Amino acid sequence: MIDTVLKTEALTKYYGKDLALDHLDMSIPRGCICGFVGRNGAGKTTAIKLMLGLLKPTAGTSKLLGCDSRQLKPSIRQRIGYVTEGHRLFRWMKISELEKFQQRFYPKQWDYKLFADMIEYFGLSKKKKVKHLSNGQRAQVSLALTLAPNPELLIMDDPTLGLDAAIRRQFLEGMIKLIMSENRTILFSSHILADVERVANRIVVIDKGVLRANCTLEEFRLAVKKVKVSFTHRVPDEVNIDGLLSCRKSEKELELTLVGTDDEKVKHWVQTVGADRYQVVSMNLEDQFIEFTRPSGRKRLFQWEAN
Amino acid sequence: MPTLWIQILSGSDKPIYKQIVEQISELIAKGELSMGDKLPPVRKLASELVINPNTVARAYSVLEQSGLVVTKTGSGTFVSNPELRSSDAADINALTERMDTLITRGLNLGFKSRDLAAMFKDRLSTFVKKRESEKKK
Repeated sequence: MIDTVLKTEALTKYYGKDLALDHLDMSIPRGCICGFVGRNGAGKTTAIKLMLGLLKPTAGTSKLLGCDSRQLKPSIRQRIGYVTEGHRLFRWMKISELEKFQQRFYPKQWDYKLFADMIEYFGLSKKKKVKHLSNGQRAQVSLALTLAPNPELLIMDDPTLGLDAAIRRQFLEGMIKLIMSENRTILFSSHILADVERVANRIVVIDKGVLRANCTLEEFRLAVKKVKVSFTHRVPDEVNIDGLLSCRKSEKELELTLVGTDDEKVKHWVQTVGADRYQVVSMNLEDQFIEFTRPSGRKRLFQWEAN
Repeated sequence: MPTLWIQILSGSDKPIYKQIVEQISELIAKGELSMGDKLPPVRKLASELVINPNTVARAYSVLEQSGLVVTKTGSGTFVSNPELRSSDAADINALTERMDTLITRGLNLGFKSRDLAAMFKDRLSTFVKKRESEKKK
């Protein structure tokens, strides 16, 4: 049986009349790094806050490590790490005071050496106050506070937002280090798809509060593809193929973006419509994500038109 | 254990495991890695490259399927004996197909067939030279 560390069922949240999260059914198996992606306002932060019991759901349930998110006992919380968006830390505390404060929540498992090593590596002094730190330094302190308790489940809300490439890489290194310990699981949201591809082996995509994908990264990479189909005469008026996300037409060419359509099906379809030839165009993860979450039937913002 | 100089290109349209497979294959083809050389353990390479360990494991398993490396339980992954690597019809097909792509591209760019042949020979000889210089070491 697959051990599930995080599970939501029909998790729904309204803010007044606005639907932020719509019947989210999501589960994360133990031992993976899962990239949680979606456009701004897709509902990622809301979902994360519901999972941690920081918001009350309008409907549905959520469980972390088998325990209901609304009633997370201290013994369960000790096994979970959480990084808020923007790395909000108490401004008036020194780094040493923050450590002491945070350590109390994880009394049995605090790794003092790891924390000290990381602070030293970042070139910081424990005597420094949070309010005198730059954004990047605050993020580094937050990373050290997060890894020191060696959490079994780590949830991070866009931890690398606004950070420079070097500090972003430190976060990725931190995630890889944590996952090397037995049975650790990480869920992190991000807009930087190249980072997600580097460290994640699972991906969850939500769009407008709705779950769109929850699979291994490799499955997603294989599922979304672009096919260019050329015709000797005219392109067909109607394009009817399974998994069609979008279709762009020119006089003699079709550019199809497909999801979950296997190569055999594409080949078969191309033959049926009497196309001349076709070519699968490779895409990177970012292009796949953009195509996958593009509103269907909508034109591009800027369209080049021939006179 | 030799250090593997592998470069991961973030945001590429080529999946990361494929980048690793291609680069290790090239190191083997050039003789920089030869029979019996041990590849770094999965977790070590994952840490060095800052990528998910599953991605490295996936790359190693693809290399193993293609016969370039063998995994000995408990001791690690090693470059295989070239004499024991066999190519079947499918391998030959795949190779021909890739050559066809290159030939098409070359001819369409306006190269003459003897230029293409010369280019092929030239590239091949850089691999062969590299292999020989590695052997002498």
